[in-house]
Amino acid sequence: MSAPASQAPSSGHHLEQSKFWIFVQIAMLLAVITGLELVTVYLPFMKWILVSALVILSTVKFMFVIFYFMHLRWDKVFCTILFFIGLVLAGGTMWALLKLFGVEDSKPLSMAEPSAVVLRVA
Amino acid sequence: MSSNAAAGTIDHHLDPSTTTGIPNKKLLMWAFLASDCMFFGCLISTHLIYRLHPPPGTLPARQVFSIELTSFSTFILLMSSLMMALAVNAIQKGNLKSLRWSLLTTIFFGCIFLGCQVYEFRNFVYEKHLTITNSILGTTFFTLTGTHGLHVLIGVIWLSGMLIYSFTGRLTEKDAIDVESMGLYWHFVDIVWIVIFTAVYLLEYI
Repeated sequence: MSAPASQAPSSGHHLEQSKFWIFVQIAMLLAVITGLELVTVYLPFMKWILVSALVILSTVKFMFVIFYFMHLRWDKVFCTILFFIGLVLAGGTMWALLKLFGVEDSKPLSMAEPSAVVLRVA
Repeated sequence: MSSNAAAGTIDHHLDPSTTTGIPNKKLLMWAFLASDCMFFGCLISTHLIYRLHPPPGTLPARQVFSIELTSFSTFILLMSSLMMALAVNAIQKGNLKSLRWSLLTTIFFGCIFLGCQVYEFRNFVYEKHLTITNSILGTTFFTLTGTHGLHVLIGVIWLSGMLIYSFTGRLTEKDAIDVESMGLYWHFVDIVWIVIFTAVYLLEYI
């Protein structure tokens, strides 16, 4: 989505003028998406559908903010690559943590099965 | 020399004096934000892991959270992001008056967000008896949202400094990169909240 940074002066001036309305429209869109998220959690659908919908909606909000408000769309591609390296590493770390500390392992010792507690103490 | 420089305008997306063509301050901020992603990623995943096992006797998170207040906070932070984007747009056009109003509004929205968070924390501690030490949910929740709140507070202080600089003449169109870097930080705080709002609050209502 990133574009070459160099712009002709006239088109650059026009771009700055139009940015104001782009920002306002995106802010309204973000507010609407937030409203949709709120409605989504009360819908009588299966849990995985609702979770997927929430993930998609928040990802859309996330992308609009980084590409428009944070100017990645108009900046050099290198900025996008640099930020996405961090995002991918963060996502990988989250995935690894959620896999490593699964449901059973994340139980506090006071709640875990007595045999499991003995095993861990040993 | 770029065509923009020849025309007497400043290209805010290109710095020919650096090897990357990106202003160093902006590059530094992007690198910092990339590292901060990992920091918040760890905090969010820790909360997601431990939220599954609240100790016996504690209130379910759904009964503790106030979705109305959090939604209002989210809306306020989104609007502050809009005002921050307009502030960057204003300084790039050399419009100091517009910059000041935009910065002031952003600070105002940031303070409202912080006020909501303080109110929420007080409510949790004194009404719902959820503290940072009495449950795993409390520990992960207060650590995560408290760290985010600290980021917002730093942003508000930074914004206030910029606003004061704009009145003393230390902030002109040539310093647009400073405002843009600060804007990147502020928008990052916003995107982190977008994730927290979904992962911490909304998930509890499904």
